[in-house]
Amino acid sequence: MDRWKQYGGLVGLLVVCFGAGSWGFTSTGGALPWAKRSAQTLQRGVQEGGGTLIDFGRGIVVAGPIRKGGMMLEYTALVVIFALVGIGLYVYADRYHGLDEQERAAK
Amino acid sequence: MAHIHLGEGSFPLWALALWTALGTVLISTVVYRVRKGGIETHQIALAGIAAAASFAIFQLNIPVWGGIHMNLTGLVGILAGPLLGALIALVVNIFSAALGHGAVGLLGANTLVNASEAIVAYYAFRTLVRMDWDIFPASASAATLGLSAGAILMGAVIVISGVNGSALPRADLTVAVAGLVGLNLGVAVIEGILTGFVVQFLVSVRPGLVGLGDRYSREGSSGVTA
Repeated sequence: MDRWKQYGGLVGLLVVCFGAGSWGFTSTGGALPWAKRSAQTLQRGVQEGGGTLIDFGRGIVVAGPIRKGGMMLEYTALVVIFALVGIGLYVYADRYHGLDEQERAAK
Repeated sequence: MAHIHLGEGSFPLWALALWTALGTVLISTVVYRVRKGGIETHQIALAGIAAAASFAIFQLNIPVWGGIHMNLTGLVGILAGPLLGALIALVVNIFSAALGHGAVGLLGANTLVNASEAIVAYYAFRTLVRMDWDIFPASASAATLGLSAGAILMGAVIVISGVNGSALPRADLTVAVAGLVGLNLGVAVIEGILTGFVVQFLVSVRPGLVGLGDRYSREGSSGVTA
């Protein structure tokens, strides 16, 4: 398929989604974190609000229930365990795949 | 990033039972199909890594659209497939709920929402690749479509269930939920583009990881480059 059609389709999709996002942003209270926005909107309905779409000053923070619940250690431990298991599985699969190919070549 | 972010007791009991039952049916079907059809070894490895990445990023609130979180379920679906993608959605939601991020009672509903993202993204990606799309537009579009489907399902779940303690009439609740769904579509733009870059990079180094080994060996042998 022509490349311009592919990228045209993608850009069209992104523009529609961005438009919906902008409407959702202002109609659900503006620059609010998701949990607060969600609770407030479902309890009180749509409320116009504004603010910046990107606020680098706020930084990247761990989700409130974990941060405020004092479970940073548990969160970090889980991420490390998941990462180690994932890498371990990847190494295992890589070796297993290699052995499989060798066996097939030998046959 | 669609996720029903409500506390315990927000949904009526019948709704909890309904979404939990549907979630159980979905996961049972997935497990049955995995046991019957088996899975390739490299998919297990990918599933492990994808679960780690999805869980880690799920808990991070990024300063865009007021403060949102991503969960990479579109990427998970494209890499691990619809079956493992659904299982990863369950695992990530269980661990998140265990840490207080998302109600335990909403596990069924949230698993349905996130699994639908992975499933739709997978099939959309395969369809677009079959139509000979390049990797970036195919994966970015597929992830955006998957996340949009999840966002709409999330909205439908909330509207059908109703919210305990909310005085909003059903029509006003529907408009309010539409606003939340709209915001999720905006987030899908960011996650879709990010997914496009990640998949394109993975395909450039290991096309077999994304199940495109055949396509690239064919193109390589005919002298055509991606």
